[in-house]
Amino acid sequence: MVKKKQNRESEPVAEDFRVIGKNHGKVGAMDRLTGVAKYTDDLSLPRMLHAKILRSPHAHARILNIDTSAAEALDGVFGVVVGSEMPTRYGVIPWTPDEQALAADKARYVGDAVAAVAARDEETANAALKLIDVEYEVLEPLCSPQAALASPLKIHENNKKGNISKHVKLEFGEVDNNLKKADLIIEGHYEFHGTNHAAIEPHCALAYYDNKDLLTIWSSTQVPHYLHRELAKVLVLETRQIRVIQPPLGGAFGAKSEPFDLEFVAAKLSMKTGLPVKCLYTREEVFFAHRGRHPFSMDYRMGFDQNGHILAVDAQTILDGGAYSSFGLVTTYYSGQLLCSPYTFDTFRFESTRVYTNKPTCGPKRGHGSVQPRFAIEVQLDKAAHALGLDPIELRRRNFLGENTRTVNGFVVGSNGFPECLDKIEEASRWRERYDKLPYGRGLGVAGSTYISGTNYCVYPSDLPQAGVQICLDRSGRARIFAGCSDIGQGSDTVLAVIAAENLGLEVNDIRVVSADTDLTPVDLGAYSSRITLMMGHACLMAAENLGKKVREAVAQHWECSAKQVILAGRRAQRLDDPEMFIPIQEAFVLAEAIYGTLGTVGYYDTPKEGVHGEYRGAPIGASPAYSFTAHVVEVDVDAETGDVEVIQIWAAHDCGRALAPILVEGQIEGSVYMGAAEALMENHELMPSGLNPGGRRKHGPGLEGVLAHTSLLDYPIPTTLDTPDIASIIVEKPDPRGPYGAKEAGEGPLHPVIPAIANAIYDAIGVRIDELPITPEKIVAAVQAREEENMKGVRHASASAL
Amino acid sequence: MLRLQPFELVQPESIGEVLQLLSTHAEHVRIISGGTDLVPNLKLGSIKGDVLVSLQRVDELKNLKEADTQLVIGAGVSLHTIATSKLVQGTVPVLADAVGKIASPQIRNMGTLGGNLCLDTRCRYINQSEFIRSSFGGCLKSDGDRCHVVPGGSLCVAALSSDSVPVLIALGADVDIIGPEGERTIPVEELYTKDGVAHIALSSDEVVVRARVPIPAAQTRITYRKWAVRKSIDFPLVSVAVRIDHIKGSPDILEDGRVVVGVLGPQPKILRLSSLQGQPINEEMAHKVAGIVSRRCTPLANVPYSEDYRKLRLAVEVKRAIRSLFI
Amino acid sequence: MKQNIHIEQKRDNPSSTSPDFCHRARQVEIVSFVLNSEPCQVAVPSHWTLLELLRYAIGLTGSKQGCDKGDCGACTVRLNGQPVLSCITLALDATEQHIDTVEGLGMGGTPHPLQNAFEECGATQCGFCTPGMMMSAAALIENKQKAEQTNISRLEIATALGGNLCRCTGYRKILDAVERAWAEMS
Repeated sequence: MVKKKQNRESEPVAEDFRVIGKNHGKVGAMDRLTGVAKYTDDLSLPRMLHAKILRSPHAHARILNIDTSAAEALDGVFGVVVGSEMPTRYGVIPWTPDEQALAADKARYVGDAVAAVAARDEETANAALKLIDVEYEVLEPLCSPQAALASPLKIHENNKKGNISKHVKLEFGEVDNNLKKADLIIEGHYEFHGTNHAAIEPHCALAYYDNKDLLTIWSSTQVPHYLHRELAKVLVLETRQIRVIQPPLGGAFGAKSEPFDLEFVAAKLSMKTGLPVKCLYTREEVFFAHRGRHPFSMDYRMGFDQNGHILAVDAQTILDGGAYSSFGLVTTYYSGQLLCSPYTFDTFRFESTRVYTNKPTCGPKRGHGSVQPRFAIEVQLDKAAHALGLDPIELRRRNFLGENTRTVNGFVVGSNGFPECLDKIEEASRWRERYDKLPYGRGLGVAGSTYISGTNYCVYPSDLPQAGVQICLDRSGRARIFAGCSDIGQGSDTVLAVIAAENLGLEVNDIRVVSADTDLTPVDLGAYSSRITLMMGHACLMAAENLGKKVREAVAQHWECSAKQVILAGRRAQRLDDPEMFIPIQEAFVLAEAIYGTLGTVGYYDTPKEGVHGEYRGAPIGASPAYSFTAHVVEVDVDAETGDVEVIQIWAAHDCGRALAPILVEGQIEGSVYMGAAEALMENHELMPSGLNPGGRRKHGPGLEGVLAHTSLLDYPIPTTLDTPDIASIIVEKPDPRGPYGAKEAGEGPLHPVIPAIANAIYDAIGVRIDELPITPEKIVAAVQAREEENMKGVRHASASAL
Repeated sequence: MLRLQPFELVQPESIGEVLQLLSTHAEHVRIISGGTDLVPNLKLGSIKGDVLVSLQRVDELKNLKEADTQLVIGAGVSLHTIATSKLVQGTVPVLADAVGKIASPQIRNMGTLGGNLCLDTRCRYINQSEFIRSSFGGCLKSDGDRCHVVPGGSLCVAALSSDSVPVLIALGADVDIIGPEGERTIPVEELYTKDGVAHIALSSDEVVVRARVPIPAAQTRITYRKWAVRKSIDFPLVSVAVRIDHIKGSPDILEDGRVVVGVLGPQPKILRLSSLQGQPINEEMAHKVAGIVSRRCTPLANVPYSEDYRKLRLAVEVKRAIRSLFI
Repeated sequence: MKQNIHIEQKRDNPSSTSPDFCHRARQVEIVSFVLNSEPCQVAVPSHWTLLELLRYAIGLTGSKQGCDKGDCGACTVRLNGQPVLSCITLALDATEQHIDTVEGLGMGGTPHPLQNAFEECGATQCGFCTPGMMMSAAALIENKQKAEQTNISRLEIATALGGNLCRCTGYRKILDAVERAWAEMS
């Protein structure tokens, strides 16, 4: 049988949509608003046990022995598990399996899991943890990339290249030649700090291994399919023996995009005890699990001609990876690969090195791998604009990549609404009247970005679709969608319902979406890389069109006309040429079911493989079927004396191709902008000060190496209502032929420009550059002081020469 | 979820019963009022409590009234009540303002003045889970024997982090304390010791029952300034109350004044401005006072943000406070 | 009312209808209070918080747990009308008091104007902070109505919601929703 692959290039679609682009309630919203929706921790099963995990207090230590006998003997303890019972190494990227469910040989960060207990309640489980005796041989903690690169001690003994987790070096064109030719070279060193996703719902898993050898696990995951695979591997079960269900999820942002210790622990302890086992992280454990933004240390060199065209970009980056690989292979590629639009580079070179350190593992946070380099490059562009005397928006226009083109690293870009985004924010912010003209302390800054709508690089290579859906129609006049994708709050269930409703003549409320249950739904790879709207959108469109065709044909038979004469809309089937002639949609479904039997079909999608990226090692990583574009203007008020930065307003224009559900797109823009602003100014997933304090004056006590400084939502400050600026979200629609109805992503792109735009606005306000994030009041004050000292020197020098 | 360790909760309905309970229960007896400070600390295990004596049902602690030239505020009056009371806003607006800056709306609904007066000291090394503390061996205030803020130090320097205390001291408020021996009244500043482990200068069988806040005279102006990373929820990182009394009939000339600084160590720092008596209240004075405060106050590495910055910030806040009082 | 309940348990039989409840021989107390306008009595260990009482003893899971210790506001319920953090409120402090949770705000065919407004404005994404957020908003609106105030400002709303963290929305649509509900209700 020849497999028919659908690499859908959408046909032009009529503009008069009935459901698409309208404002609908979010599918399932009212359940969440009434407390009816059951999140993972809201579930309980009869005789359910509670698991707690013992964690290493050492940043780097060999595990010599674990004695669990006292814990096992405690009344109320039903099971204990240690790393040697689940020795298989796994990793969300199959090429870098360096994690164990529980560390068996070595603990690699403060908080690394070493054992777990299932007990009748959390209190008993906690008491039992205290009875577990772990003998450690404490090793030197390597808590920075510099320390890890310099040390002969390896964090992962089997790693071939010391403590280097991944190294990528790619060059497109002759960078050094172009740098020589350049009229202007801008060089800068940039530091991007680590940040946590801080979804309000802590991770939770509930597992039950039943007497038919079926392991059911309810987990707050955003990747049920990857969890399914890794559970099978580590627990040595067949995938058919495992069912992963993702209940309603309380936010993720990348924090829940790979398997975690708690899922393995709950599953293993359920297998050992025969009882259901729940494991709920404390907030502190969420900070240990982390997978947040990698700290990047970046050296950028860019060459421009006198007109501001980018001749060369040379980027050197060190990524602080933390203890394990996570998505690090991809992060390392993304740190360069996602940089090559919306501006055209003549030549481009990047060298990125991800280093293991004894810290919580970094991974994919919203805007995975490209938020950090975007900060560097957009500030570089601002510096270039100033050096050349050009308006920063004009500089960006001059370097516009264009539509239907290829980037220097070979990515094929379709629609590109970046110029429209620039136009919109320029106008909305009254940029021309105000930029560079506001009083001291007030400033405007601009930045742009791009992001992917899913990636061509599937986490594991296969010929299988990346997204799958099944739709059934019901003689009651409803549709059911079974979809493997994860609605993590972003509204993917709604997007599917909108597409199905548009095609089947239904209202969004008529669609039941069953998603993210590996027993009930076809495989989708998960909620990451902003892939669902495009990929599941296509799959859903394929299935819905297919079913819609059958319904129209059945009605056409009934009316003895051609199927083209039948349209499905507004819960009716009606004659195109005679609006008075219609039947309720339910009757239409009944007619179709009578002819075709039970109505159901599947849809699927895989990324186009040919001609969408270059041909070199790593070329597909970061290549996407379609790219979103974003531009922001930020207005700040800076108090140069205290260093306080108040973000007054952010204008964010985002080209999402087509807004299938505009209110959700706005929500994604606003949420991204808020999150980015907080990263720029407030949040820092940092360690306790150890060794010399920042003043360099004295030693802190010993034992603080590798200990997280902020492990609560009090100490890790995510913004409140009163800290969040006014956000104007502006939707730009440049439909992309590779997106369903032209749709592209909206959930991650709009985070990128906020951070550099804030930095650029601060420069416009008070004339100082803060190239090391986060931009704290302290850094502003120091920069202002340094400038004043510089000026004083200048004045002294000037007066000296006058004499 | 982080769970509380089992304890016995007793809910007396009168001060008499409270005193009786405090004298009969020996170790690890804790007074709980709103619980917004105590419960998180109990959950973190940074303090222990076998018996909690709740003041929630002691109605006699919930009075707020004006008596002669004083506001008398019961220890059990909620922070929300103080912040929104027309009486407080009308007579001692700076107190309503400072209390309105405490934490979040929910915490102000739950928390009480007594609780804010007796708020535990805070430090980045103590306000951590048992696990985190165990990873570095604890500190003077919990499970350990060393100070990470002042290596070699033998006295805990965790910071007084109450938003109401600096203002109450600037106002010259007193607190009434009741114990087995009866009631006594002390100035608010005498409630605090130099030891962050036991920074409340009460014996374990005593309770703060009310604050007596003098209603400022016409020539007294007071303001409170707080700096924290966020505009809600956070404890102060810099906290200062400034009081200026001008000479009667000469609103531009200083009679007396004081600056009360929080978030240094366990005690608030009080700087009296009597040496500036007779000088004009102007920009120059703002700078002068800021300089004095800066010289005499030493923020420590007990809360986030560098000591140097907090010192600088403190001076700026003092300067701006004085400006706001004479402009 | 204090009772010592001793439950003899065999090791292999941790009977429990709701998680975590009545496992250990421990001191429990009966808490009598008014929950969502209905009288209610429930036995809980005396060291439980109100959130544990609601979620584990009664099974009302609409109030969420996000931070463990009063930092995020997801557990916000109303005690005698005022928003409080149930994760740091002792269960016994609910005795003889009125407690309102999101489940009491509106259900089924009669959603509260806030619930409608949150849905219409796209103010709920993951929905985890939303119950607590709405409890703070409901208190704000009712307090203002009681005080016969006729205008509401965005700053007032933002201040009232300042103890409820949301990580999805950037708050803008939440403020829109509260404004809309206010307009609906006044």
